Amino acid sequence: MNHDINIKECRINCFRESKVPGEFMLQMRVPGGMIDSKYLDLIQKISKTYGDGNFHFGTRQTFDICRIKYEDIDKVNKCIEDYIKEVEEGLCDVDMDLVAHEKVGRKVNTGYPTIGARNISACIGNYHCICGNINTFELARKIEPIIFPSHYHIKINISGCPNDCNKAHLCDFGIIGVSKLVYHKERCIGCGLCAKICESHATRVLSLNKETGKIDKDECCCVGCSECARHCPTSAWTRSEQKFYRVILGGRTGRQTPRTGKMFLNWASEETLLQVLGNWQKFSSWVMDYKPEYLHGGHLIDRAGYKKFKEIMLDGVHLNPECIVAEDIYFNEIEYRSNFNVKPLSKHKKAGPGA
Amino acid sequence: MSYKLTLKEAQKLLDKLSLTYDIYAPKKLKAQGRYSDTDIIKYEKIKNIDEIEYREKSTYPMKEVISPIQQTIFYFTEDKYRESKVSTKPILVFSRACDINAIKVQTKIFIGNGGFVDYYYQRMYERIKFILMECDFESDTCFCVSMNANITNNYSLAVRFEDDGIHFEVKDKDFTNYFKGYPHSSFAPKFVMENKTKVHIPEIKDRNMLNKIKKSPMWKEYDKRCISCGACTIACSTCTCFLTRDLIYGDNSEVGERRRLSSSCQIDDFALVAGGGNYRTTAGDRMRYKVLHKFHDYKERFKDSHMCVGCGRCIERCPEYISITATVEKLNKEIERIEKEEASNV
Repeated sequence: MNHDINIKECRINCFRESKVPGEFMLQMRVPGGMIDSKYLDLIQKISKTYGDGNFHFGTRQTFDICRIKYEDIDKVNKCIEDYIKEVEEGLCDVDMDLVAHEKVGRKVNTGYPTIGARNISACIGNYHCICGNINTFELARKIEPIIFPSHYHIKINISGCPNDCNKAHLCDFGIIGVSKLVYHKERCIGCGLCAKICESHATRVLSLNKETGKIDKDECCCVGCSECARHCPTSAWTRSEQKFYRVILGGRTGRQTPRTGKMFLNWASEETLLQVLGNWQKFSSWVMDYKPEYLHGGHLIDRAGYKKFKEIMLDGVHLNPECIVAEDIYFNEIEYRSNFNVKPLSKHKKAGPGA
Repeated sequence: MSYKLTLKEAQKLLDKLSLTYDIYAPKKLKAQGRYSDTDIIKYEKIKNIDEIEYREKSTYPMKEVISPIQQTIFYFTEDKYRESKVSTKPILVFSRACDINAIKVQTKIFIGNGGFVDYYYQRMYERIKFILMECDFESDTCFCVSMNANITNNYSLAVRFEDDGIHFEVKDKDFTNYFKGYPHSSFAPKFVMENKTKVHIPEIKDRNMLNKIKKSPMWKEYDKRCISCGACTIACSTCTCFLTRDLIYGDNSEVGERRRLSSSCQIDDFALVAGGGNYRTTAGDRMRYKVLHKFHDYKERFKDSHMCVGCGRCIERCPEYISITATVEKLNKEIERIEKEEASNV
């Protein structure tokens, strides 16, 4: 086989090269992992016509169709044009003509314009789950136009509650739905079930006061999971109607420096959260000196340092009064490659203009 | 005599009634449900007609108006005490037939049972008049007809809500003057005469059978299923169990108040006594106690009705999907089994 294929362009177009020469895998975005099941017909059609009939659930909740011949990429892109329009423009209000907020003039039937900002994944959230605090895929659909299309890489995982089934702790910008709990003392019968549940399921911040027969709470360490509200027999614990979010920053997997993310924001309102994310393009372009090269979002934070990250990400943001921000973050890498953190400063990559 | 008022007129009427009465109705509380973005409906004092949630069954029963989950009954200083104050205004409650019938059970327990009148219950009960809300919704958790609790004439006014207004039937002469000048209507409240869900009440013929039921393995199922949260009994319109608790102000134990709090026979320490004995240590034991209390023991003692009006709130509130109607049907089958076993032993 004699191929002359610009692999990098294919990849940006969301077609990843296969170990089999000349074959590619299409990755279709499903923001928040939720989509009308009618699109499964389309997946089947593409898979049977251009692939080998199989499809894979991408680890970031994309529809992955393998075994697509390089020669068929244009035809496949034509097939997914309506899907892109309906999902990205229709559901998420994305302007497909922009890349990182700049007009590029996308042509029809050319498929996805960027792969940098990865599909936003989400657990099922309060659409179904008895633990969920937020509607996760609706949030994903609101974030989609902020980060996509863009060549700047970012992985966003949304979890509906602090159980974090969708691993907000293992991505660049993890979002966890949390609740401010309201205690209606006059409805509390002092059964102590919430305290028992908090002890076994959460962070042990509730205790039954033997003197008053009411519940004492360590407000500071409440993770906002709402297990107390879920178990209370009298509705003495209820969620606040307003939704809040915790942001876990800089987690990642990877060969070199896997690590769990750390708390960046807590009790952020939706408005605050979206405003902060609105600065992501600005931050990324500053770190890369306006040259988007392939680098994971978490590494951008490492290059700039948390303080600089915070400065740019919070620029012009009106924080809701409940929101608290990490003063500093100390990441703990598992050092797969020895001396990663102790190498001389001169060997560290630099951030910002002239980097 | 019946009338139809526009919503505007009904609001004016409510304003006028509020001068004399405290008015309570089921009210929807947004996002206060057990799960995220779910609501609850509970009884609260209202000022506006549009606060009344009449389309759905309330999560919590009407009994909370008379016996709130928590109430201070008296204050004490050394050997002197003073009863807590309550409003002297009479109370009007928008209520369904099942909830009104449940008050008969409540009153039987609080007034007269054991030759004792519960003053704190009585002072609320005496102030109450009911506005009957006609039931026009179908819920498969309702079984009021099976419990003979679908009909009542214990009401002063009856209402039917429509999109453009409210029909009122005036039964109590005290309210006649409020309706002068409003157009007449042919409205007479209809009662639910059939439920989708029907329950056959078990016949427990004698003590021997009762003892066999007590020892039956059928209750073991609930050891695994029931989490003993007590939500069923808090949502129950007939349950009356409460506990009292003295709240001491500061470090002087001579000064404080006594509170009454709802309690639940389903909570694991309900039958805990001084010395550490506990008579019902498993969820199955407690379930058996509740079911037999409601569908046998109460009637055995008071003769008039069972201690259930078929409101079905316990079914809707149970986080473990335990249905009281399904449980009673299981009990029926168990009785049948025991009877067959007895017949074959003869």
